[in-house]
Amino acid sequence: MSSVPSDIPAESEGRLSAPSFSSGLTVPDFAACLQMGLEPVGLVQGYCVMKWSFYGAGSPYMRGMGAYQYNTQQGAYSESYQCPHGYVGGEHISWGQNFEQTMVEAAWTQGFTSAYSRLLEEATEAGGHGVIGLIDTVRSLTDQAVVEFHLLGTAVVVSDAPGPPDGRPWTTYLAGQRLAKLVEAGFMPVSIAASMASVQVWPYCMTEYYLRGQGGTYRWSPQYATSEIEQLSRAQMAVCRLAREHVRAQLGTDTLYGATFAASDYESSGGPVLEATLRGNRVRRFKAFDRLDPPRPTVRLT
Amino acid sequence: MTAAPKNETTGESEKPTALPTDLPKDASRRLKELEDGLFTSDLSVNEFLLVKEVGFHPLGFVMGSSIYHTGLQVRKFTKSEELTKLTEAMYNARELAMTRMEEEADELGADGVVGVRLDVNYYEWGNDAAEFIAMGTAVKAENGQSYRNKAGKPFTSDLSGQDFWTIMQTGHVPQGLVMGTCVYHIAHRGLGQAISSMGQNVELPNFTQALYEARELAMTRMQDEANELGASGIVGVRLEEKSHQWGSHTIEFLSLGTAVTKTSAEVTLPRPTTIISLDN
Repeated sequence: MSSVPSDIPAESEGRLSAPSFSSGLTVPDFAACLQMGLEPVGLVQGYCVMKWSFYGAGSPYMRGMGAYQYNTQQGAYSESYQCPHGYVGGEHISWGQNFEQTMVEAAWTQGFTSAYSRLLEEATEAGGHGVIGLIDTVRSLTDQAVVEFHLLGTAVVVSDAPGPPDGRPWTTYLAGQRLAKLVEAGFMPVSIAASMASVQVWPYCMTEYYLRGQGGTYRWSPQYATSEIEQLSRAQMAVCRLAREHVRAQLGTDTLYGATFAASDYESSGGPVLEATLRGNRVRRFKAFDRLDPPRPTVRLT
Repeated sequence: MTAAPKNETTGESEKPTALPTDLPKDASRRLKELEDGLFTSDLSVNEFLLVKEVGFHPLGFVMGSSIYHTGLQVRKFTKSEELTKLTEAMYNARELAMTRMEEEADELGADGVVGVRLDVNYYEWGNDAAEFIAMGTAVKAENGQSYRNKAGKPFTSDLSGQDFWTIMQTGHVPQGLVMGTCVYHIAHRGLGQAISSMGQNVELPNFTQALYEARELAMTRMQDEANELGASGIVGVRLEEKSHQWGSHTIEFLSLGTAVTKTSAEVTLPRPTTIISLDN
């Protein structure tokens, strides 16, 4: 057993090298794991606490006379919206913009990747071939600007099999029968894949009108009728597309299986911020599909 | 695994007869009724059937309780550290509750306790006092074989009846509910630290290290308990975090799981049947 990697605490040394294993698997998952020839060797984890910076671009004070150009130059998503009314007054919001917050995405990726690499270090230290039943949580710690990334899983060895060729344990969110069914279907887990996308919306006058229901100079607008809020719709579609594209970039020629998608939003001082996270299992085909037994129909008598 | 003392005439395991001194007097009458054949249990009907299926019989609902006063410990505003007095308090209180539950099970001559729940309750009438409760269903093997653990005590386990049946099919036997706890104070960020990282997305290594260390301490202590029982592993590990009444920067990290010993390499769990529900 090699020495403990420098990036994980010294307290883990004794735990990971102990003869007994610990496992976060439920008992049914543990039983299924044994049936598949996977032996648990230890509960492994990785953490990273990140400070979330103040984003100037999200502030109304940073909103200048024209659209934010930096992201566009970097190839990130950006769309501008021009007021259809012409000059109305000084308070009139004559332009708006949707733009991808690449700094936020980079921070999320850094936090997630750091926690993930520490989990892999622990798994390698424990002698695991892979990590199953991964649970990852991202939560605010003490206040909104400090975020903790926590990954937890059970390192396993495949009975009577050599370790991974590159020495890097494979990982999956799956465990138990779901993992067994995946293998029966001819796929093997490669790694987890996860991404986050964030889009800041700077509303222009029409979006602001729909969001706030403001009157004043907006009242003469013909847009009283029920209508789609185009700027927000496009921002929502963009954030979903970006999350998918970020994950797709991690897949290579492999497939994503068992993906979970979560969208959220919050109000920043500059306007709405839309976020999306996509998590899933990167899997690779290693054999032809074995047809499953046909399911037995059941009816509950209660 | 240590076998219970046996009667030289009958060859059967002997029941401990003396009531442990720190059990309430009312417990004696309740346990006496249970010894006479009546059993109580918080198992569901399905759990009861599965416990019977695997060859165990419920003897009675057992519990242990301890009302514990958790003292004060000075916390340094800018230092992350374990609060050892609070850790000891949380550990001792749970141990007392668990030990009393084990004594009740021992009184019934049980081989183990399944479905153990560990709860902490706070009451308005007790400042800084908390009640720690352990409860579960004592069970005994119907074939007369002792399943007591290495310490000669009934095994404890937070496994449900379904999980108990399943783990027995994998050639593993529960040894004990093992836990590790660590009460840790996470340092506040100083003004200098806040200013130096202003406007940046950066990792906060102090926070990372503190949380990492606290959880590792809890998990290591849990694993040490399992090693003392001679277990080959721990299943169903849960990591719980609670601030109780200490504020957001002081957190108890509790690691809980059931230590198991491998008694057979054979996994007798049948291959699952795929089903499709025709219910609406």
